[in-house]
Amino acid sequence: MKGARATVKLLEKQNVDLMFGIPGGVLLPFYDELVDSDIRHILVRHEQCAAHMADGYARVSKRPGVCVATSGPGATNMVTGVATAFMDSSPIIAITGQVATGVLGNDAFQEADSFSLMMPITKHNFRITDPKALPESINRAFMIATTGRYGPVHIDIPTDIFQADYTEEELDVKARVPKPRRNLSGLLDAIKLLESAERPTIMVGGGVTWSRAGPEIAVLSEMLMAPIVTTLMAKGSVPDNHPLVLGVCGMHGKQVANYALNNCDVLLAIGTRFSDRVTGKLSEFGAKTKVVHVDIDSSEIGKNVKGRVGLVGDAWTVVNALIAGLQKRKKKATWIERIKILKKECTCDYNIKSNPIKPQKVIHDLSKLLPDDAIVTTEVGQNQMWALHFYECQDNRMFITSGGLGTMGFGFPAAIGAKLARPDSVVADIAGDGSLQMVTHEFATAVENDIPVIVCLLNNGWLGNVKQWQKLFYGSRYIATEFGRNPDFVKLAEAYGADAIRVEKQSEVAEAIERGIKSQVPILLDFVIDPEEDVLPMTPPGKASSECIKGRCIWKGGGD
Amino acid sequence: MEVMMLLVYDQPGVMQRVMGEFTRKRINVETIVVGKCEMPERARIVLSVTDKEKAHGVLEHLRALQEVIEADIVDSDRHEAYAIMQGKQGICRVTGTVEEVEALVMKSQPKRYIEAMNAI
Repeated sequence: MKGARATVKLLEKQNVDLMFGIPGGVLLPFYDELVDSDIRHILVRHEQCAAHMADGYARVSKRPGVCVATSGPGATNMVTGVATAFMDSSPIIAITGQVATGVLGNDAFQEADSFSLMMPITKHNFRITDPKALPESINRAFMIATTGRYGPVHIDIPTDIFQADYTEEELDVKARVPKPRRNLSGLLDAIKLLESAERPTIMVGGGVTWSRAGPEIAVLSEMLMAPIVTTLMAKGSVPDNHPLVLGVCGMHGKQVANYALNNCDVLLAIGTRFSDRVTGKLSEFGAKTKVVHVDIDSSEIGKNVKGRVGLVGDAWTVVNALIAGLQKRKKKATWIERIKILKKECTCDYNIKSNPIKPQKVIHDLSKLLPDDAIVTTEVGQNQMWALHFYECQDNRMFITSGGLGTMGFGFPAAIGAKLARPDSVVADIAGDGSLQMVTHEFATAVENDIPVIVCLLNNGWLGNVKQWQKLFYGSRYIATEFGRNPDFVKLAEAYGADAIRVEKQSEVAEAIERGIKSQVPILLDFVIDPEEDVLPMTPPGKASSECIKGRCIWKGGGD
Repeated sequence: MEVMMLLVYDQPGVMQRVMGEFTRKRINVETIVVGKCEMPERARIVLSVTDKEKAHGVLEHLRALQEVIEADIVDSDRHEAYAIMQGKQGICRVTGTVEEVEALVMKSQPKRYIEAMNAI
């Protein structure tokens, strides 16, 4: 068989049944073989979105998502999507076509050095210049993506490789990838620290979402009487309605979560890299705190916060080891009792019934009305931060967002990928008008392929988050943040064949969401919101959380 | 001065990938030697950097690369060094531990010198 057929067969052997992409000249032999394959191919409208869809699919299914782009501009367009997956440790397989090996390096038509471009934003990447390397590379790509810390893998395939000859036996190559080393030598020290802790707190990050260790962490927190705070990436990994879960910490996090983080004596940090958006001023962060840092990636231990005790291993294994080792701990209830009181102080009514619509009201109604297994994705900016702070990700709900790279335009294609991974769940994208305009063309993809996702557009006519920073830190000198002329989003969605409603009164929000949930076609809910509403509370960048800007927030600072 | 030794697969792109980690972490590589080694299809990279903390920081990142089989910092205490210096008094040969030889070279400030560290 030819290389094109071999490539498709190798993908089928990896149980790939879905891929996202756009064909091109060098990919013609490969696409020709897809005609006879059972793999469903979703034709997207921009390669970046192919990667985002594969990413959304991977985050829901915990299996690698596959995206395909042609050489040159196809590959460069895909870079943003791959980088997004890399920063959030999402396993996607990005396949790009390449010009023939004979002209590689000669500036051929549609040639770009995508191998070099993808190198720093992938966990690993292959450029197949020797036909013999194809089967092993594809098999290894899937293993690398899902071994240890997950991550995207890129395969660059020159077009003449698709014409090479292969036998059936040549495809049966077993790929081997070294398992990451576990290092639990600090386990006894960690247990000792946690046993003697008076004010222990557990901080969970994206690693917990990937290893699905939420239930075990809930058990551990009950054993330790320790509250759980989550990062943006871990929202939903432990249900927000668990009594010991305080919610998301960081710049726009819950104040009680930041309080617990800053006032604990022992912090058990699991699967988090201590992003600057969480820690604020690094020197002030947990100055008196002893840290037990658990991560699957040994290079994360001590990278941003110098861990006193580092444990290298996946969250699920290490948490279970801690549970087994902590049987003797005496429970001290004073800290957790105090946190429970403070948690009540951090509970406000954000069902704001005023016009123009406040974004909090939309998030409130989404929290109330979405089913318990709903998947919410977000774009990036104010919409993401309102969702992070106010959305109740309870029970089996999932929260998908571009946390690391902060890619505007991520949420909508990711929602499409998520819906394909779990067609029975309601999938809603909480969007802003800035982000959505980067990817509106994907309405065509959603409509064409009958993928009914809900786009909840928080439309304030501004690049709101940048505007907020201009307002707070640059004396309201606004530049390049107001959209002078936004399109009519309802007409735009309808032009693509999607359903759409404009909502301008707070009393109509709930009804619109209910219509969205029931919709059998992609639907846009255009919530025209108050452009003056900021995302607050906010801890300014580089400041300690005591210097928080509160706005409507009723938090009294945790003082007695 | 920290000397690092890496065992890698000998294929195109490996140097770029390894050096990419140094670029990202803003580490200036002082010296680098790469070549085929006693094992087939493997190559060894020996390089030196000045910042000890940064050298240790990048180590785990290097080990995480698929094409890197081993990455270690060469223990400078246990290794011998050798230097030939040309100064005002003519040519002078020195042997000893890395620290001793380095200290002597620094102290005598020769016009020209060749220093071989951890070579044996």
